[in-house]
Amino acid sequence: MYRRLLSTLQSATLRLDTWIHRALPQDFNPLYYTGGLANLFLTILVVSGILIFLYYEPSLEGAYASVEFLTRDVPYGVVFRGVHRYAADAYLVAILLHLFRNWFTDRYREARDSQWLSGMFLLVVSAFTGFTGYLLVWDERAQLLTSLTVQALQSVPLVGGWLVRVFLGGPGVNDTTLPRFLYLHVGPAMTLYVLLWWHYVRLRHPKIWPPAVWVLFSLGLLFILTSALPAASGHPAQPGASPEGFPVDWFFLWPYVLARWLAPGWALALVVALVAYGMVIPYTVRESPEQRGLRALGQAVVVEENCTGCELCYYDCPYNAIYMVPSPYPGKSRAAANRKLLAVVVDSRCVECGICIGACPFEALELPRMLDKDVQQRIQRGARAPAPATS
Amino acid sequence: MATLPEGTTHTQTDTAPPRVVGFLCDWAVRSEGLLNPDDTLVGMPHVTVLRVPCSGFVKPSWLELALRSGAAGTFVCGCPMGDCLNREGNWIMEDRIDQLRKRLSRQKVDPERVAFFAFGLHDREPFLRAVAEFVEKLRGSGGKR
Repeated sequence: MYRRLLSTLQSATLRLDTWIHRALPQDFNPLYYTGGLANLFLTILVVSGILIFLYYEPSLEGAYASVEFLTRDVPYGVVFRGVHRYAADAYLVAILLHLFRNWFTDRYREARDSQWLSGMFLLVVSAFTGFTGYLLVWDERAQLLTSLTVQALQSVPLVGGWLVRVFLGGPGVNDTTLPRFLYLHVGPAMTLYVLLWWHYVRLRHPKIWPPAVWVLFSLGLLFILTSALPAASGHPAQPGASPEGFPVDWFFLWPYVLARWLAPGWALALVVALVAYGMVIPYTVRESPEQRGLRALGQAVVVEENCTGCELCYYDCPYNAIYMVPSPYPGKSRAAANRKLLAVVVDSRCVECGICIGACPFEALELPRMLDKDVQQRIQRGARAPAPATS
Repeated sequence: MATLPEGTTHTQTDTAPPRVVGFLCDWAVRSEGLLNPDDTLVGMPHVTVLRVPCSGFVKPSWLELALRSGAAGTFVCGCPMGDCLNREGNWIMEDRIDQLRKRLSRQKVDPERVAFFAFGLHDREPFLRAVAEFVEKLRGSGGKR
């Protein structure tokens, strides 16, 4: 059932691509660059965020006024604020597209789990950073989000009170709360770059930037959104006031939209459960490659006698699964006799794609269940077969 | 150029269609019902297609071997450019084929006998059309060896 759903989703995802390719060349399909687009929006967020940071005053009295000053009186301040706000939305949309595309196209299993896990952490930290960004404006919406969050944290058993203190810097909102929120916005944003290192560490040449045309399109889209719907604050937060409703970006703050029907504690529990499920997705599908209808050709094996240490496979492996080590003993073939290096396959990273076999001119790599000599035989059979009779 | 009317099949009396050996990535065109048990394409018995785990698995020396062994042409079909399951197998293969073509033309072998295609899961018809066109082109060039 679950399997059939996944394969339907995979089919639908790739069907969408064929429609896009009717309008765009293959390598300009924006869905192939969701990761690069997310990175583009993150860069825009960092740059616009630094400019906003210069004007922001993290205090209960001054926060709202400083944001209003930036919006009204600073030249182009409203543009920076709008770009920061819409880039955050676009960033999250890009991340979610990236997540679903890689999920539905089977790019998360086995050796690829490291990218999936780091991606889940990136999603959680990004969403948290976006959420604290809403608090910094310190308008009615921020106040309501704060009180809902406090309620949710308080309902956590055992450590609830402690979590609230960590979040607010005291038992209730006080003078240290907004500096703390500012840290909770900027600190996790920096953590994103550590997580991105993890996200990229097993990838050779990661695609971290979309084609120029999509960079320009995204920037243009942000500016158009900013001028059409300028980012604005709600009413300033009043101590003791209990605001009721406000417009929210539902895909960003959906747990808070849920809080209308659900106790905040349960909304938090739901978020935690979803994230926990997300983390184990790569390990939920336990079937063997054969059961998934794949030919399991086995992980690449180095034929040590033939390896010349030329590094061609090392540079072509897309998953950094091949390491070059100092050769412990000479090879047997004439080309390999004086080698300085030897290729070694890291099993836990190999996805059995065989790209290293295509790279090797010395017959020093093999996929165990699709050997070079068998392929050569089949090629010769195909090339030499007599002219086919009438079919 | 000898072209066949729609719906007819090749016969021995006709000039025999040029033999082609191709490589098809497992993740590109859906291969269910595409191949006969002897690796030939359904409806095109002169085209042998070997399924490979990724287009980047193909050694350029295999393409040369196919040409040397008597095939008029050889091709590799990978996923759409940018959508390789293994991230960059099809870019790498396209690059290797470019290099092979240059080497072939230095050896006075027609580089047009080697082709690279990129088609996705749902692109069976465009893939078959591309193969048919490739075969026709080879036939037009007289199957130079």
